[in-house]
Amino acid sequence: MTRVRVTAPQSAGRRPAGLPPGGSQNRDAAVDSEVGRLYVRSLIRSQLRLAVVVAAGFLLVLAASGLMVALVPDLAGLRLLGVPVNWLLLGAGLYPVIGLAAWLYNRSAARNEARYRDLVDER
Amino acid sequence: MNSPVGLAAFLLVVLATAVIGFYGLRISRTTGDFYVASRTVPPWWNASAIGGEYLSAASFLGVAGLILLSGTDALWFPVGYTAGYLMLLLFVAAPLRRSGAYTIPDFTEARLESTAVRRVTSLVVVAVGWLYIVPQLHGAGLTIRISTGLPSWVGALAVVLVVYLSVAAGGMRSITFVQAFQYWLKLTALAVPVVFVLLHQSGGSAVPAPESVNPTGLPAAGGYQTVSLLVALLFGTLGLPHVLVRFYTNPDGRSARRTTLIVLGLLSVFYLFPTAAGLLGRMYAPGLARDGRSDALVLLLPGELVGGPAGDALSALVVAGAFAAFLSTTSGLVVSLAGVISQDLLGGSVRGFRIAALLAAVVPLAFALATDSLGLAGSVGLVFAFTASTICPVLLLGIWWRGLSDAGAIAGMLTGAVLCGGAMVAGTLLGAGTAPAWLAQPAAWTVPAAFAVMVLVSRATKQRIPGTVTRVMTRLHVPERPLANER
Repeated sequence: MTRVRVTAPQSAGRRPAGLPPGGSQNRDAAVDSEVGRLYVRSLIRSQLRLAVVVAAGFLLVLAASGLMVALVPDLAGLRLLGVPVNWLLLGAGLYPVIGLAAWLYNRSAARNEARYRDLVDER
Repeated sequence: MNSPVGLAAFLLVVLATAVIGFYGLRISRTTGDFYVASRTVPPWWNASAIGGEYLSAASFLGVAGLILLSGTDALWFPVGYTAGYLMLLLFVAAPLRRSGAYTIPDFTEARLESTAVRRVTSLVVVAVGWLYIVPQLHGAGLTIRISTGLPSWVGALAVVLVVYLSVAAGGMRSITFVQAFQYWLKLTALAVPVVFVLLHQSGGSAVPAPESVNPTGLPAAGGYQTVSLLVALLFGTLGLPHVLVRFYTNPDGRSARRTTLIVLGLLSVFYLFPTAAGLLGRMYAPGLARDGRSDALVLLLPGELVGGPAGDALSALVVAGAFAAFLSTTSGLVVSLAGVISQDLLGGSVRGFRIAALLAAVVPLAFALATDSLGLAGSVGLVFAFTASTICPVLLLGIWWRGLSDAGAIAGMLTGAVLCGGAMVAGTLLGAGTAPAWLAQPAAWTVPAAFAVMVLVSRATKQRIPGTVTRVMTRLHVPERPLANER
């Protein structure tokens, strides 16, 4: 197996608008057969499903935190390390959730792509 | 504040920006270099650069100021700014990188095979960019006035000059280095003073409770306003032109995702500090909110609470960070606007890029000099509402829905632009205090309206769906071969 250097098109800025020509061979080959198109469709569907599930999960956490702060006024009186708990929840607590969602998504998206690649290679 | 110290801080940032910018000049040679740094910037550099570019006047000054004014309601701003990147990661990052397009108009034209779509997208992108530069220049004016006593226009003009020179000289490659440097500068410039003030105050005796302090007596925001703000921030980020152009500097789709993950970490760390500054201000310096200096909170906090030479030194650091914020966001916007303007109007040469950069910077300067700031975080929030109502629908549907037609895209973008733009104008004319919530925070109805029009018109014009849709969708979503497996 020899390594081939892949370079980005250098003259693209001068080109009239549109996608740069060429692109990777296997990406164009994917649409040349009915099976290839099917695989691509299922890849897109699984990536979209994943993105929607992660987004919905995050929005649920966001809504829950908002409601908690709005509906439980006692949180403002509680203190952790001298900071009111409602401040801590909205001002610091949501960031780890965002990071976790992003990390989970990255892992699963890469897995979807690996699965697609395996399917195409088997053919 | 001691004015020579503030002036020195400002000059130092300008000098550092120029040095790094001109160092980059030696590397950029071709037109491709100029536009997207040849897509060879490593993920950490790129992530720092994205963070540096994204953290604008609104994040550096506005968030703390708004927290001082309205307490926990304002905490949604930093959360929304960060979560917007999560949405960008989920729905846009990898496919957009794989599209191979350089700008948003490039993308929409290629996806929909239509130059009319391209023109409309370009107009929207330029409008967004100009709207977004104005608050940066307002922030610069405010900072220069507070820190040196010079008139506001000096700050705005200085930022435009520095940005124009470094952009025209180095293009994107040098901008990448400058931006990456400025993220770390901004973080340091906010973290060090905040930690210092915290340590300084923790020795004090009576700690007032932040919830008992309501310096402005503002009523709490209603549920509608919070939801609408979050819609704008979550879906506005993925349509920002200067954010998108950064993703083209990743080598492939997977690294675009990895970069975004790092960006999320960097933003999360950064936003802890304006939040802490806002809380400190609310507890110890609520007076700043009453005399309308809330946006200057982070600039004034070290002087108010620490004072003496230590306070001066800390203030100088904050001033440096603030200018890093104005310079980096403005230059990111100017680069992406210049890319759009030069490719559409001036043939895409390096010379055209320079002329376009001038155009991209001078128009908002004139606007900024003619208007007064109305709260930095709020005005940037409105720009997010505008992108969420225009560029976000065309990107999301373009990437994920085969049924999008050129007519649908144009109708949707125009609907969003007219509704959201109209609400912004009407809200401004009525005045900040008197405008009803649905005009002050329009995203909750303008974004769904734009999506609905885009989908319905596309359905009605099915025959206009381009024949290349399968090929383009494949290109967007199929992973690149890893280099090691290339046969």
